[in-house]
Order: sequence, then structure tokens, then C-alpha cells
Amino acid sequence: MASIDLKNIAHSYDPTAKDPIFALQPFNLHWEDGGTYALLGPSGCGKSTMLNIMSGLLTPSHGQLLVDNKDVTHLPTTQRNIAQVFQFPVIYKSKTIYENLAFPLRCIKMNKHDIDRRVKEVADLLNLTNILSKSANSVSADTKQLISVGRGLVRENVSAILMDEPLTVIDPQLKFELRRKLKEISARYGHTLIYVTHDQNEAMTLADQVVVMDKGQIMQMGSPEELFENPSHMHVGYFIGSPAMNFMNCRLSDQGIHIDDHFVPMELEGIADSAALNMGVRPEYVSFSDTPVANSVPAEIVEVQNLGKYAIATAKFGNQRVKARLSGKSKLPSGATNLVLHKEHMRLYVDGHLYSAS
Amino acid sequence: MFTKYKLLFLLPGLLVLMAIILFPLGFTIRVSFSSWDVIQPGLDWIGGNNYARMIADSRFWEALQRLSFISVASVLAQYVLGFSLALMVWNQVRMKRFIRVLFLIPMMTTPVIMSVIWRTVFHESLGPANDLMNLIGIGPVAWLSTETMALVSVLIVEIWQWTPFMFLLLLAGLLSLPKEPFLAAAIDGAGPIRTFFNVTFPMMSAISVGAIIIRLIEASKIMDTVYVLTSGGPGSATETSSYYIYIRGLRDFQIGYSAALSITYLVIMIIALTVIAKVLSRLVTEK
Repeated sequence: MASIDLKNIAHSYDPTAKDPIFALQPFNLHWEDGGTYALLGPSGCGKSTMLNIMSGLLTPSHGQLLVDNKDVTHLPTTQRNIAQVFQFPVIYKSKTIYENLAFPLRCIKMNKHDIDRRVKEVADLLNLTNILSKSANSVSADTKQLISVGRGLVRENVSAILMDEPLTVIDPQLKFELRRKLKEISARYGHTLIYVTHDQNEAMTLADQVVVMDKGQIMQMGSPEELFENPSHMHVGYFIGSPAMNFMNCRLSDQGIHIDDHFVPMELEGIADSAALNMGVRPEYVSFSDTPVANSVPAEIVEVQNLGKYAIATAKFGNQRVKARLSGKSKLPSGATNLVLHKEHMRLYVDGHLYSAS
Repeated sequence: MFTKYKLLFLLPGLLVLMAIILFPLGFTIRVSFSSWDVIQPGLDWIGGNNYARMIADSRFWEALQRLSFISVASVLAQYVLGFSLALMVWNQVRMKRFIRVLFLIPMMTTPVIMSVIWRTVFHESLGPANDLMNLIGIGPVAWLSTETMALVSVLIVEIWQWTPFMFLLLLAGLLSLPKEPFLAAAIDGAGPIRTFFNVTFPMMSAISVGAIIIRLIEASKIMDTVYVLTSGGPGSATETSSYYIYIRGLRDFQIGYSAALSITYLVIMIIALTVIAKVLSRLVTEK
């Protein structure tokens, strides 16, 4: 186990090109020893590139990788003592499940007794105990992926365990169970776990800290709560939360912000006239009232989707459309109503970035 | 109605097949029961006399043993050498095409021409092989005139000619392997040797078996190399089955006897190669 630092790391697959395209823009990150992290972002945002840089399958075109303050940027994968689980199952076909799990331990020349103990421990965690002597090639894709995960977990002293969307091929029922187990295992052994996913639920439930990425850039790193309450960028607001954060075009006026005709008093400074302004509010914090109240604005309900446990209502006022997430038990609004926007939950975005009073 | 037409369209193919395979086979079997030779050509009937003579003919059985040795030894050497070469150039992308063409040359050369060149190379007083031996201080070697060395020479030529075939086949196999298991092995901390035995070799087993079987079939027909290089000599030290059959049939013109030898050789080869193929492929699938 170790802390990992990525210093000014950037990667271009063709760094000698005249105008290189970066799969990863320069960034700095610090992974703490024993932390559980999730890398979250859409496909092609650079998550896997970052993971491969850490495991050494890829040498970054710029920057340094430090493990416990030692520079390992150019160290080959074999010597890094890092575990990685891929998106699709990778097994040693000619071996039994037991031998598959024992392989990383044999590579570090652990003695037979300890290998047996570790393999049985991991097999127990993943419910593989009864089929240990089976050929790894003869089991289902689910189980093969479990074997891959097991090989990632079997070494106790790895610097970090990297997981690249390992639960994609596993069926939903088992996925839930495994996610819980991974969390339990990483807590028990204090592994540094870095988990790549494009599923926000997975990221939020598994990790203490979530890193949101887009187009090779790190948009925000924070606890799930922070990402939910204070998305630092409109992209994070869109990406995290279901449904996504509402964004309303607005304009600057004296002592506040105008969203169409609705005025929100705010103390603002240093915003250029030309800046694009958006007011963001989470659907969870939007509510409706039959009678006008403070901070309410007359609106019309356009659509209500009842999803059983909760309902999503879309309301319209002026040119704005706002979604609200309502508990399924509350009375569902219809027709003309009043939209209540709570000021403490509203976030102003200037050119896409969260505004904060300096 | 349709059946008739179908048969009609199949007929030319069937006739050709009959003419080139079934008739010669049937005719050879018939000939093997006759005493057809250069003095008395003709299809008389002598029963199993030819076969009885064959069972007592130790030269034939020795040739068969020698053939087994030559094919197994040369194919194994070709496999090991070909695999090593393929592993060496596998990850090197540059020059790959050039190397492939270079390696094709021995395979493309006509066996007779190539054997003539090798005979010159092995020539005891004029050949460069002995010059080389002198240089490294071993002194001249009687390449083609002692029993052991003649056999070694035949093996060297066989290996030289067919290693490229193994190399190309195994290289194609290596290039088609998925990358992920290698990445996983690197992450699991396996060094190059461990990776080879745990990842590369098991994944190559199917193609290896294919390549070995193809080569064994080919190698068991060896005749031209022996003919040109040693003519089976000294004595009968490098005689293989097909060369011995050639001697009996086309030099001594004992057509009947050589037909009996051919049929026996065919049956033995079919059985042996089928068994070998079965055993090897079972080894692979059981893994």
C-alpha cells in the first residue's frame, strides 16, 4: 500500500506531432494511502489512459508518477507491484481457477503454505471455493471476471488496485453484491483502490472521493456529497445526479440575477458583461406550491413522469424548463402552479464554472 | 428427376477422382499380388508372396525406422528453432516483411537444386563446410561418407529447408494472440520466462500441434534430399522408406514387390499419423 502522486502528467499518443492531441491534459493528483477513489466520466474521457499510466502499460508523454515519493514513471509494469482488473475477463486459460488466483503470488515467490491461505481467503470472499479445482476456461463470463478480480485482490502488499470498469460484464444482481464486497475488502485490508467507471451510482456508492473527468481533463475531485451539492463545473452538474442539474440562462442586473422575470438578489463582483451566466439548481431542491410564496415564480407543468418511488415533473416558466424530483407520495402537481426555487441551493455558473465570491 | 441431373453434373468430377485416385490405388493393390518385374512384365497372381518377402526384408524395416527418426528429430528441431526465431522477431515491427521474404527462400527453392548446393557445401575437400570446421579447429569432417555424419547432413538440410515454414506459421500464430493476457501477466508480476510458459506457450498449443502435424506428414515423404545428397549411402545408412521403394521400383524394376512395399508404407503412415494427430490434439483440448 502506498500513496500515489501524479505530477504534471499529460499524455498524447503522438507527442511528436506538430499540434499534438492530448488524451490527458496536464494535471496533478494525489491518491492517499488506503483511499478509495472512483474515476468517473463518459467513454473516451481519458480514464483508462490514466489507469494504464499508473500501472505502467503506458508511459506518459509528460510528467512524473511517484509512488511513496519514488519516481516510477519509467519502471516497467512487472516491477511496479500494482494490481489491475480489466473491463473484460482475462484469465490464464490453461490453468485451474486455483492456479489462476495463485499466479500473482507465485510470481513473488511466496511459500506454498501462504499461497494456499491467501487463495482460499480470496476464493471465500468471491464465492469461488467450491469450484477452485475447475478449469478457468470452463466457467461462465461472470465467474471468469470474478477470477480476474480475485487475481487483483490476492496480493496483500500491492501499492494500489486499479479497476477498469470491472463489473460491466457481471449481471446486475451480482454486481450489487460485488460492489459491496469490494468496498468491504478495501476497507478491511486498507488497499488503495482506484476504480474507473462511467456509472455514477457505482462511483458514488464505492468511493470516498470521486474524480470527474471529461475530454482528458479533471473537472472536479471531491466526496460524493460535494459533487452533488457544489459541482464546480456545469459538466459535473450534468453528469452527476439523476436527472441532471437544471441550468437556466440568466442575466446580470444590479444587485442580483434575473432569470427571465424572476429576480434573485445576490452580491456579485468581478463578472464580465460578456460572460455567459447559468443558474443551476438540483431537481431534488425544486418544489411546487399552489399559492405564491417567497422565492416562487408562476409556472406551468409540462410533463410528469411517475417512476414509482419518485416522480419527475417538468415545469416551464418564460423560456426556462426546470425539472423537479418529487417523492412519489406527495401530491403530483398539474397545470398552473408556483415553482419554488430555494436560494441556498442555487449555484451560479460563469462561463461554465461555479461562481464563488472571492 | 433432380437426382439424375445432380449425378450428371457430378459425373465429370467423380470420373476424374476415379482416374487419379481410385484406379491407381486399386491397380497398385492388384500389382502387389503379382510378380511383375523387368523380365516378366504382366499381371500374374502369386498371392501374398511379395508381402512374405517384405516381412523378411530387414532393409525395408530399417528404412522405416530411419524415416521415423529423421522426421521426428527434424520436425522437433524445426519447431524449437522456428518458435525461437518467431519469438525473436515477434515484437520487432520494423524489417518484419524483409525477414519474412528472406525466410521464404529455402522453402521456395526446388529440393533437388538445393540439395545439389548442399552437397557442394558438404564436399569433403572442396566444400566450405570443412573450411569452416578447419577455422574453428575441429578439422575436416567426413560429412557424406560416414554413416552418422551422412544422417546428420540429411538432418541439417531438412532443418535448414523447413524451419522457415515453422517460423512463418508460428509467427502468424503469435501475431494473432490477444494482448490482454500479456498485460495481465505483466501486472501479476510475471517475468519473461514465466510469461512464456504460462501465457504464450499454452495459447500457442493449438497452432503448434497443427504445424507439427503438417510438417510430420511432409517430412515422412522425404526422398529428393536423400536422393541427391547421399543416394541413401554410405551403404544404406541414410535410406528412407520412399527412397528404398524408389530403388526397388524404378531402379530394379521389381514393380510387383515395390507395389507391395508402397501399400504397406501407405497403411503404416495413415495409422501412425492418425494416431499422432489424435494424441497431440487431445493433449491440447484437455488443457
